[in-house]
Amino acid sequence: MTIKLDAIRECFEGIVPGTMATASPDGTPNLAYLSQVQFVDSEHVALSYQFFNKTRQNIMANPRATLLLTHPVTVAQYRLTLQYLHTETSGPLFETMKAKLAGIASHTGMSGVFRLLGSDVYRVLDIQKLSGESLPPPAPARNMLAALRASGERLAACADLDRLLAELLACLEQQFGISHAMVLMLDEPGARLYTVASIGYAASGAGSEIPLGQGVIGVAARERTPIRIGHMAAEYSYSRAVREAAEHSEWAGALETAIPLPGLPSPRSQLAVPITAGQRLLGVLYVESPQDLRFTYDDEDALVSLSILLGMAMDALQCAAATSPEESAASPDAPPRQEGAPILVRHFPENDSVFLGDDYLIKGVAGSVLWMLLRDYADKGRTEFTNRELRLDARVRLPDVSDNLEARLILLGKRLVDRQAPVRIEKTGRGRFRLCVYRPLRLQAG
Amino acid sequence: MPSSDEPLIDDCHAAFMQRGVSIGVAACSRDAVPTLARATGCRVRADRLQLTVFVSATQASPVLECIRDNGTIAVVFSEPSTHRTVQIKGRDARVTGLSESDLQLVAGYRSAFARELAPLGYDEILVRTLLSLPSADIVGISFTPAEAYSQSPGPNAGQPLARKA
Repeated sequence: MTIKLDAIRECFEGIVPGTMATASPDGTPNLAYLSQVQFVDSEHVALSYQFFNKTRQNIMANPRATLLLTHPVTVAQYRLTLQYLHTETSGPLFETMKAKLAGIASHTGMSGVFRLLGSDVYRVLDIQKLSGESLPPPAPARNMLAALRASGERLAACADLDRLLAELLACLEQQFGISHAMVLMLDEPGARLYTVASIGYAASGAGSEIPLGQGVIGVAARERTPIRIGHMAAEYSYSRAVREAAEHSEWAGALETAIPLPGLPSPRSQLAVPITAGQRLLGVLYVESPQDLRFTYDDEDALVSLSILLGMAMDALQCAAATSPEESAASPDAPPRQEGAPILVRHFPENDSVFLGDDYLIKGVAGSVLWMLLRDYADKGRTEFTNRELRLDARVRLPDVSDNLEARLILLGKRLVDRQAPVRIEKTGRGRFRLCVYRPLRLQAG
Repeated sequence: MPSSDEPLIDDCHAAFMQRGVSIGVAACSRDAVPTLARATGCRVRADRLQLTVFVSATQASPVLECIRDNGTIAVVFSEPSTHRTVQIKGRDARVTGLSESDLQLVAGYRSAFARELAPLGYDEILVRTLLSLPSADIVGISFTPAEAYSQSPGPNAGQPLARKA
């Protein structure tokens, strides 16, 4: 096989539909249009199994198949000789193809008709380029390797999580031309992801949540596999994911405490990539575009590679934060002057939600952290804190030692800014921060 | 089985097959290995008992080899704008030469296919390049339709083609 499968992946995007020949054991050929060809690795492809049709019957009886694929830009044609191996009906490959098929179905007016029953995995025995005229391939919009290298260097230079996230989003925009992106971190006990950073939206959406398994982001997290959709897929949009999450929530007040997700109202291209450290899921990097087919296999490869670097960097920073001593305390500035009438701050212990007056602010671990800070401020007049003491404080219900406290603090800081709260947290050095209160507070538990 | 003087395909389907629709041809070797190629036009004989599809002899060489060996063939016609798809099968396919009018038909098909695809966002240059073949390289494959199926996407794909009287 002189032509490499990964060199012709653009032919799999379905821009020029591919066709597939199969044969019954008696030698009667059959030809079918392909909905979806999925690159698996350099020797395998997967095809969508949607109906028990002639193709399916033939493949079960005679595993040989031949594909004809056309490059969408050069129109070069390739004939691929395949051998059927097995069918997957769950797991990462199946979920990736199911999400992609939903996009294809929606784009072609086939929603409700196309449903993935299985991912048929084939070994590619041979690839032949057919003779014929072709168009010259255009110069690529950017060199992905150069973009990846530059981004990797910038991420490696970051000394804390806040900086790492900011650099990541800047790299996506500057190096990859991606202008809508968000990073979500895993809240393991809650089986959900929460937004910690975003770019390209009117509101930051910090603290907005997606349950595992919901929408493109939730499925990518649950299956630990990248999900890339080239056309809008209503059933995977997260406006719906949010609505469903609210419907299934155990708290009656869920709707009032739901922070709207940032995001394009109708993204036409979506790519969600899990962020992992070893076997551990840390979160999801999600990018989207109003343009159809914006993200290619190469974009997917680049962002998966970038997410591997990101995951390792997050893990290293978290280990460092947990073990290295904090910087010595800077001499505290004079506390800010407080203005206005006292504001009521309420805390509900069942979900650690905190309300400022009647406005919902935050819940969960970040809510528990804020309440502890405010109590210490009210009871002892404390304004200087260290991450280490939070990690050890029994009042802060950190779900696990592996939970990323730094991410929770970033979320809390952003949320206070987003809500224009009269309380802020300011980083004062490595592993330390200051609570700044700009208005008298009246704390009320429950 | 229709009798030999009763065509399997009606006028409406015949017209559809001769429009600017996408055409694929599949054949199968004696050891049941299938192969396929793109076709560049179709002629339905006036009595609708014989179909001829045109292919590049070099692109379709494995297809032609199988057809010369065993004569079995499957041809799919699909209209990109509507997804309407029809599959015709035969058992007596043979490779034929082209007349002057066949070459005109192939040229007309190229334009018709480009016109069909233009509203879907495919540049004419793509279609014309894809179907740009030297005349000397084009051959015909003629056969008697023995089976016909509707293959528009969905659970009913694969039903025998309904004929209108």
